[in-house]
Amino acid sequence: MRQVMTILWDSYRLLAAKKLFWIVLFLTVLIAMMYASVGFTPEGISVLFGAYQIESELIVEGSMFAEYLYMMIFTDYLVPWWLGFFALVLALISVCPIFPDFLKTGSIDVAISKPMSRLSLFLVKYLGSLLFVAIQVLVFCVIVFIAHGVRLNAWNLEIFWAVLLLTFVFSLIYCVSVLTAVLTRSSLFSLLVALLVWGVTLSIQWSESIMYKATYVMPASGLSINMKTGETKEAGEELNTSSEMEKFYGIVRAIGMPLPKTRDATYLLRKKVTVRGKNMTMSSAFLEDEASASELLEAKAMEDYDNRHSVAYIVGSSLAFEVFILGIACFIFVRKDF
Amino acid sequence: MSDIVIDIADVRKKYRGGVEALRGVSLQVPRGGIFGLLGPNGAGKSTLVKILTSIVRPTRCAGIMLGAAIGDKATLARVGYLPEHARFPEYLKGGEVIRYVAGLTGISSADARQKAGQLLEMVGMQDWGNHKMGTYSKGMKQRIGLAQALVNDPEIVFLDEPTDGVDPKGRLEMRNLLQRMRDDGRTVFINSHLLGELEMICDSVAIMDKGEIVRQGTIAELTEKSRRYELKTRGTIPEELKHKLIAAGAEIGGEVISMVGSDPEPIQPMLDALRAEKVTIVELREIRQSLEELFMESVGAGGVGGTQKRSTPPQLPGKELVK
Repeated sequence: MRQVMTILWDSYRLLAAKKLFWIVLFLTVLIAMMYASVGFTPEGISVLFGAYQIESELIVEGSMFAEYLYMMIFTDYLVPWWLGFFALVLALISVCPIFPDFLKTGSIDVAISKPMSRLSLFLVKYLGSLLFVAIQVLVFCVIVFIAHGVRLNAWNLEIFWAVLLLTFVFSLIYCVSVLTAVLTRSSLFSLLVALLVWGVTLSIQWSESIMYKATYVMPASGLSINMKTGETKEAGEELNTSSEMEKFYGIVRAIGMPLPKTRDATYLLRKKVTVRGKNMTMSSAFLEDEASASELLEAKAMEDYDNRHSVAYIVGSSLAFEVFILGIACFIFVRKDF
Repeated sequence: MSDIVIDIADVRKKYRGGVEALRGVSLQVPRGGIFGLLGPNGAGKSTLVKILTSIVRPTRCAGIMLGAAIGDKATLARVGYLPEHARFPEYLKGGEVIRYVAGLTGISSADARQKAGQLLEMVGMQDWGNHKMGTYSKGMKQRIGLAQALVNDPEIVFLDEPTDGVDPKGRLEMRNLLQRMRDDGRTVFINSHLLGELEMICDSVAIMDKGEIVRQGTIAELTEKSRRYELKTRGTIPEELKHKLIAAGAEIGGEVISMVGSDPEPIQPMLDALRAEKVTIVELREIRQSLEELFMESVGAGGVGGTQKRSTPPQLPGKELVK
């Protein structure tokens, strides 16, 4: 245990010694504070701690819509875009050199000549590298948690699912970087390969998402699209799906199956956090009472879209990818002559 | 407790690509002394140490270290190691490096803190323990390297080229530290190609070349055959006496008389005879082959166990008995 704690503590010191860590943390706190500056009044929304007011009849203090909007900004914008993309890229840039540096002659020798198994050393070092993201997201979530508590009197601990999910998402990309580092000992190469794999998986996930919307969501919402003109028609009732589209979607889904689901895993947060007992994928539950039939149809279709992949599928297939990649890296590390 | 801390036989290492780094190395290292492993670059010295410290996996290895099989992880808790070109994290301070290595060895935080203070003092870095490694000179880094190698009170300390890149003053201090380690009862295993350094401190050595041990023993044992006494005279030695001296085994070249052997007894009657003939004795020296010469002889052009001999008698080092 002492050895494990030593490596984890060293990982923290390594991160703390990096300027980029503090820059990202500063930006994270800044964005979280801007989020926290949004509040709700009986007249509408207040921004920048009351400096500006946006009048609204629906989104007012104490309303479910205000709570929904506040949470949606967190789950649909801040988490996927700042924490799940920009901060993650910066984390990758910062963390990628950890393994190449560790594996350099003269550095690795001291660590592996100690009474600790190579397997433990490798895994703890790997987990320690994930601290970068875990700390950033934790700080962000603490501010968001306090903001929700103070603004809405909703002390929602489910917000902290973001720490687990985003660290998991980062680990899916970082494992590729580690494998490349074990093979090449090059920081630059390991960063580029990780970004490349991430880019490919994101493209496939986006394709799958678009294909699903075109194949299932649009017909379910009563929408049809003319592929030649791009013209959209609203039928007002559920339409049949095209078998050709279904076939094509099946192919795209199959291609993406063995790959890590970084995007989908990030959006799992929408299933994990709730507003008044309903999770963020239950679109129809957050509709106004006066919502039209087509709005209800569309909301139901979106619910179906948000829940098209089970948690087990997203986590399981991603975890299988990570275990496979990390297993190869670990096998090489354990057997390698340094 | 055994007097032998490392006892290995037929250690082989063939790297992928076919490079045979070790070709059946057998070695015994006695407890509580300074053991030097010499060899030219690429001889396999570092590979051998890395096998002993489980950094490199041997192709074949039979033997024990500290009573356990080579590669036994638990045994490494009793071993210290300073690698060649050691790199410690630049973001850590000297004291933190020692505590970090202590943590990897499983030493408690409180003990590590106490030990780090003692070791910093021992290596003369007590005023620098709170400075980052990035601000250290090469010599200072080596001192920290030495301190971290001792943090677990090891029975064996492996030092791979410890004085490489260190200035003469630093080397002297390093030698003193090594002698102190020996005095503390530790076995110090040094890899080096700085023969002069090793000659001054090693109790026993092994010479390695092309993946094999070609000589092994104490320096005295290894240089035994080359030992002789050399007498420098002034004035003419009578012919009759010359014949007597040659008959007694001496070699005479001008004003220098040489007698092969490490025993000073045969020299005594020779001195008496020269005195009796009123020959002035300018100098009497005990001469033995230097480690460098022994090394060159072992790994010279003759290859493994090379037989290349010097045409003139070696002069270094000499020990003057009479002047």
